[in-house]
Amino acid sequence: MKKIFLFILTISVCNFSTAQETFPVNGTSNINHNYYAFTNAKIFVDNDLIIEKGTLLIKDGLVVSTGEKTAIPQGTVVFDLKGKSIYPSLIDAYTNYGMPEPKAAAHGLFPQLESNTKGAYGWNQAVKAETEAEKIFISDNKSAEDMRRMGFGAVLTFHKDGIVRGSAAVVSLGEGRANEVMISSEAAAMYSFDKGTSTQDYPSSLMGAIALLRQTYLDAEWYKNNKTKKDYNITLNAFNGLQALPQIFETVDKFSALRAAKIGEEFKVNYIIKGSGNEYQRIDDIKASKCRFIIPLNFPVAYDVDDAYDAVNISMTELKHWEMAPVNPSAMEKYSIPFAITAADLKDKKDFWKNLRKAIAYGLSEKQALKSLTVTPAEFLNVSDKIGKLKSGMIANFIITSGNLFNEKTIIYENWVQGNPYKINDYNTIDLKGIYDFEYAGKKSGLLKIEGEPDKLKGTITVDTAKTLVNIAVAGNSITITFNPKDASGTVRLSGNINNETMKMSGTGQTPDGGWVDWKASFKLAAAVETKKDSAKKEMPLIGQITYPFCAYGKKQDALPGVEKIIGDFKMRDAVILIKHVTVWTNEADGILKNKDVYIANGRIERIADDINATKLEFAKVIDGTGKHLTPGIIDEHSHIAIANGVNEGTHVSSAEVRIGDVINCEDINIYRQLAGGVTSAQLLHGSANPIGGQSAIIKLRWGKSPEEMKFAKADGFIKFALGENVKQSNWGDFNVIRFPQSRMGVEQVYYDYFTRAKEYDARQKAYKTLSDKEKAAATPFRRDLELEALAEILNQKRFITCHSYVQSEINMLMHVADSMGFKVNTFTHILEGYKVADKMKAHGAGASTFSDWWAYKAEVKDAIPYNASLLTQMGITTAINSDDAEMGRRLNQEAAKSVKYGGMSEEDALKMVTLNPAKLLHIDNKVGSIKVGKEADLVLWSDNPLSIYAKAEKTIIDGQIYYDIDEDVKQRVEMQKERARIIQKMIDEKKGGAAIQKPVLKKPKLDGCETMEFNYMSEE
Amino acid sequence: MKKMIKLFCKPRLPLLRRGLGRGVLSLLLFTAITANAQTKSILLLNGIAHIGNDSIIKNSVIGIKNGKIILAADAAIAKIDKSSYDETIDVTGKHLYPGIIAPYSTLGLSEMEAVRATNDFKEVGAILPNVRSLIAYNTDSKIIPTVRTNGVLMVQVTPRGGMVAGTSSVMMLDGWNWEDAAYKIDDAIHLNWPLMQTHKFLDEDNLYYGPYEKNKDYLKQTNDLKKLFADAKAYNEGDAKKEKNLRFEAMKGLFNGSQNLFIHADNVKEIIEAVNFVKQNGLKRAVIVGGKDSWMVTDLLRENNIAVVVSRVHDLPDHPEDDVDQPFKLPYLLQKAGVLFCISSDGNMEAMETRNLPFMAGTAAAYGLTKEQALKAITLSTAKILGIDKTTGSIEAGKDANLFISTGDVLDMRTSNVEKAYLKGISIDLNNDQKALYEKYKKKYGLK
Repeated sequence: MKKIFLFILTISVCNFSTAQETFPVNGTSNINHNYYAFTNAKIFVDNDLIIEKGTLLIKDGLVVSTGEKTAIPQGTVVFDLKGKSIYPSLIDAYTNYGMPEPKAAAHGLFPQLESNTKGAYGWNQAVKAETEAEKIFISDNKSAEDMRRMGFGAVLTFHKDGIVRGSAAVVSLGEGRANEVMISSEAAAMYSFDKGTSTQDYPSSLMGAIALLRQTYLDAEWYKNNKTKKDYNITLNAFNGLQALPQIFETVDKFSALRAAKIGEEFKVNYIIKGSGNEYQRIDDIKASKCRFIIPLNFPVAYDVDDAYDAVNISMTELKHWEMAPVNPSAMEKYSIPFAITAADLKDKKDFWKNLRKAIAYGLSEKQALKSLTVTPAEFLNVSDKIGKLKSGMIANFIITSGNLFNEKTIIYENWVQGNPYKINDYNTIDLKGIYDFEYAGKKSGLLKIEGEPDKLKGTITVDTAKTLVNIAVAGNSITITFNPKDASGTVRLSGNINNETMKMSGTGQTPDGGWVDWKASFKLAAAVETKKDSAKKEMPLIGQITYPFCAYGKKQDALPGVEKIIGDFKMRDAVILIKHVTVWTNEADGILKNKDVYIANGRIERIADDINATKLEFAKVIDGTGKHLTPGIIDEHSHIAIANGVNEGTHVSSAEVRIGDVINCEDINIYRQLAGGVTSAQLLHGSANPIGGQSAIIKLRWGKSPEEMKFAKADGFIKFALGENVKQSNWGDFNVIRFPQSRMGVEQVYYDYFTRAKEYDARQKAYKTLSDKEKAAATPFRRDLELEALAEILNQKRFITCHSYVQSEINMLMHVADSMGFKVNTFTHILEGYKVADKMKAHGAGASTFSDWWAYKAEVKDAIPYNASLLTQMGITTAINSDDAEMGRRLNQEAAKSVKYGGMSEEDALKMVTLNPAKLLHIDNKVGSIKVGKEADLVLWSDNPLSIYAKAEKTIIDGQIYYDIDEDVKQRVEMQKERARIIQKMIDEKKGGAAIQKPVLKKPKLDGCETMEFNYMSEE
Repeated sequence: MKKMIKLFCKPRLPLLRRGLGRGVLSLLLFTAITANAQTKSILLLNGIAHIGNDSIIKNSVIGIKNGKIILAADAAIAKIDKSSYDETIDVTGKHLYPGIIAPYSTLGLSEMEAVRATNDFKEVGAILPNVRSLIAYNTDSKIIPTVRTNGVLMVQVTPRGGMVAGTSSVMMLDGWNWEDAAYKIDDAIHLNWPLMQTHKFLDEDNLYYGPYEKNKDYLKQTNDLKKLFADAKAYNEGDAKKEKNLRFEAMKGLFNGSQNLFIHADNVKEIIEAVNFVKQNGLKRAVIVGGKDSWMVTDLLRENNIAVVVSRVHDLPDHPEDDVDQPFKLPYLLQKAGVLFCISSDGNMEAMETRNLPFMAGTAAAYGLTKEQALKAITLSTAKILGIDKTTGSIEAGKDANLFISTGDVLDMRTSNVEKAYLKGISIDLNNDQKALYEKYKKKYGLK
């Protein structure tokens, strides 16, 4: 029975479209070429063109015309839409409508080095360029209906799986076969940083995903141009095919958007970025990316803050984002960034309209809102000739509403998709509101008053002054009234008919005792109209300010409006500081100078003298340095802070292609904490999971600046290498026994193999570069290999090695490899047995960056001694003390001081180990590392001898600007408390108001799954 | 990004707080025996004596006989009979300190953290009161000699597995074997208070954790604890005629006041629950270990005479919003509120890091404490909390002669230089393998 019913349902669908021509028909054909006209409606042709009272004429699923005076042909079905509005149906440019759920196969216990995909596809399982939405799409009326109710008529849909996700299709949300609803079968190419269901180990980190995508672009280009290729590769073929389409990149936060934009810049792709909703937090950089955006309305719900102990776990970022998230769309509008709005990322799709109206209340214009839901997505997806407007020849996707679409009270009556109607609410519902003369059981019984919304009517019967409440239900022209009369016990039930022209009602009903009675009501007068303020014109809610970075200890930078801000910036840039009567640790031949004045301007150290007259120096901030010590800023040669989503790409034996510089996290609170410990620069290193790790980034700790702005300008490139237990996976459990190498013997061969190949690569590349354009065209194209390119840079002295190392045998080995392959090991890091081979290191010319006193944490550090740094220094090796630990990074001065204790190093030399020496190892000693006129003003003012445990960094200066000030810090704590308290009070109100709330949870590490990994790798010794 | 990579680095000991299974060990009680006794009496003259009780004698005279301090006084005032001492050492300008005590430590139970065979601090099971650290304490650990060279002369050796982790003992950092190194046997039982919010591990080795969520087992775990303590109390109060229960037997001291209960709890709510647990069970002596949030409930702690063992001061704040120096100033906050506390070095690379305990006190001094208060937090206060202050923890007449001499301030690495150290009046060896390697390679390179 059920089956038959379903069958009937399927074939009874009546469609106007003719896409089914090739399909056999079961039953009688139902061909319909009727015209349909919608008259007297306010028609929004698009966000700009509005016809106050006009006609929309459609036929065969397409718009014939829209206009004030549209001629209506004979034989047209006419709908009078007086007082109603017509809008183009909305378009969601980011859905997975009708797509299969991506399913991951279980990952085995052993590493999976190769792709599991069957067929002649590319090497990486996460690059799924061959996926085509049009081939796996099935229309799904249940989901379509949910979307239609919200007003959507067409969507972009794609398979959400992989870093390259293949092509997406634009489909209508009508019922019918995939063939019928397909609007654009290849509408866009989809990308992300998320490897999805891929079980292949590579990539395991964000920087790995970035490298994989970059290499894929290069490989595809090479594949395209290479006429003599021997391999057939479906994936690269498909990837090339995708390039003509709009390119959409999914991102998970504002920085991820900037990372995508950077890849786009490199490969000349202007991505449409699927944003995350926090773009407003870096809106200047977002604007500068020149990308277009698709943004969600996923505003977070308030937290339950009643328990003060639990509320501590809600970060400043979360608190502020809760308050400010609704600003995101209006920020995009103000900055003229082209953007579409999507219902994606909403936990409950029902929140779409609520949140959109909220965004409007927070400044988004209604015009822009409509544009972002119609014209913009259509333009993004190259379907603006088909959908998004109600112009002649376009698909008849439109909605009929009771009024302004963005008004809270507005009802969407119908959503027409491809010329087919989908009823949502009945606009023929009779408006019964008013006061009626009421007759019941043959006698006048007073006045019946009906009020409320059509689906929620209520009323009263007034006899003299006595009021009785009545319940009213209306369906079509039928009405049911129930009430409990004062003079009877029980409920009277009346049913009847409404004459919608005369507004008279009549019928019969039953009294509580079962007797049948007649009743009547006739319209007397309209009820008084309630005057309510237009909800859309509410004042912009008060919200806090953006801070840079957008987290704890971030600073407001828009405090100064307009011109004052420009002057403020100017002053900041030219900060002039004069520190008087201070003890200066120069790290130069002058040694430690007592009672000197140091003058800083233009970001540099300008003068060091006995007495510099402050009065002549306008703007100068004068600091009394009496009893205090001024040193060069601390430089951490080995750090893993400020890295987003994975420090290791240890899935391959070499990951020379990955770059920490791609994944700098400028909002890591450890940056601020280390500023408080006097750190001004750090080398952010790849982990030590593989013999050839990734490229590192040298940064200045410019708290508040963007990832790109943090990078140390014009610094040489470095790369991490690693030896010993970590790379041979000694402590990785019983299953990690597959990847080569598993012994120190294998590690040597890894290097010989890679450098042999790098040499050949380098020669090929150089030879190719000498060819003329004509010769190049004739030659086999050169395949750029990001991994070998990084190694070739080492051979060409353009990239330098920092090598994680412990025992003497392996240190010796790498120097032999280097000598025979023609490169140098710039720095051995950790190098705990360096003291055993100090003479050999000296001969090779390697530097050392070591721990002060770590040992006993694994077998290979058995012979580590705290005298190592002293011995290496005495042997004439440039030696630094590093942290490799976010906590220790803020006490590096103390770690250096340990060499005074262990090995009797001079205090001056000890300080150099965390300032000048790491600067030398990083090739930045011509700019920083000592206090010398002309050098960059990266300085720390200490309360005491900087090697003493009692010393505190009072001011940390980078580029002549104070980035940490111990007094300001105290003030900021108070301000943060106030700001938190303010938002918390708002959240309490929200909870009282009955809004949804979420429970705070402890976050240690951050909640993000990938961030978790980052935490784990923060120190990777 | 589902596949995890495990790089063994600094194992996070707090992660090792949970475990399952059971273990049964001998309950024989041993008496501490010192293998060698002091034979020659010593007089330390004119040193700057940091007593350990927040006071200082700038020009001191310290007399040591038969392993005890018999005189600790101002040299200008005290009458001194030099002839009654076998040896007089002039320590003018040098600093004298009581031996530093490291509470809550795995020193001697772990040699190389990544090498499983060398680890003996964790048993299998949730309820392990009868598991005793004493007998696993390795007096020949290569780490121990590197620790005492910085003035740390005693350690509370503590088991870490399970919910009730086991029984600790206070050991001297010198001895032929654990019997003669023991200073106070079975001093305390250690309880890891159940966490209210826990996280799932993302890997099979339980090294890398995922997001936190409410601990659904919290009620069950605390109920298990309540039942255990009720049962153990009833067992120990009742008639002896019953089958022996080694776990209950091991907990006897908690109810008669001879043993301490150390409860590891950091979160403020967990601390409140733990304090109430102590009250409800009528336990006479209890201590909170970790206590990151203890500064928020100082009244409660003070009123209930519950001391705090502050975990490693050199730590990061828990939340980005926290004061940058929150862990540094925690000792000061407790001092100000009048809560008894001491400082421990537990945390990453714990055994090795014990040698940096004096510097953790130094940091506490940089962030609010006076230097003498900071010293007290690693000497006399620790002794009080461990229940050994009658015999050690300060340089006072009548106490064991556990003290050392440094040429400079021992709380600051810049000046710390321990020349001589005594345990019960016996001068201990301050050499270690690291110094030997240093000398060996200096010789190789012809360095001075």
